[in-house]
Amino acid sequence: MEKVQKPKNNQIGFYCILSSLIYTICLIVVKKFHPSATLGIMISFIPTITFILFIRSFIKNINLMDEVERRIQLEAAVWGFSLGLLLLMTFGLLDSVINLKKENWGNVSFIIPCFYIFYFVGILISRFKYKQI
Amino acid sequence: MTNTIKVERAKKNWTQGDLAEKIGISRQSVNSIETGKFIPSTVLALKMAKVFGASVELIFQLEEND
Repeated sequence: MEKVQKPKNNQIGFYCILSSLIYTICLIVVKKFHPSATLGIMISFIPTITFILFIRSFIKNINLMDEVERRIQLEAAVWGFSLGLLLLMTFGLLDSVINLKKENWGNVSFIIPCFYIFYFVGILISRFKYKQI
Repeated sequence: MTNTIKVERAKKNWTQGDLAEKIGISRQSVNSIETGKFIPSTVLALKMAKVFGASVELIFQLEEND
C-alpha cells in the first residue's frame, strides 16, 4: 500500500489571528470612540463574520484529522463547554446568595477566556488519556 | 480488546511512524491504538490488516470481558 499523505489545513491559524484581531479592533472602536447606537450595533456584528470563518476552518480541520485526534477534540470540547457552564452556573448561584460585586467577580466577561482555558485543559487531559503526551 | 500490532510491525521491521504513514494517521494515534488506549473503527482496522497482509481477527482479538 502506498504512503497516505495527510492533507493540511493552514487556514485555521490565519482565521484565529484574524478573528482575534478584528474583535480587538471592534472592542477598541466601541469603547474609545463611542459611536452612535446604530453604528455601534453594526460594529458589534463585524467579528461574527470572521468568527464564522474561523469556525468553518476549525471544522474543516477536524474533518482532516484521524479518528483518535477527532476523539481528543470532542472530549476537549466537552470539557471546555461543561466546565465553562459549571463556572457560570456556580457564579449565578453565588450571586443570588452573596450578591457578588460587579467590579470583582460579578462580571461574567472573565468567564469567556475560561472557556478557552478549559478547552486547552481538555486537550491536555485527552492527550494524556490516549497516551499522546 | 488486545492487538498484535507491535508483533506485526516487528515482523515487517516498521516503526510506528512507518505504519502511520501507510494508513494515513499520526504516529501518536498508532501508539494509542497499539497500547490499547483507543479502539479503532472498522475502516482503520481493515486498513491495518491490509498493510500487514493479515486478517483483522489476527490483529485484533476480543477479550473475555469485551
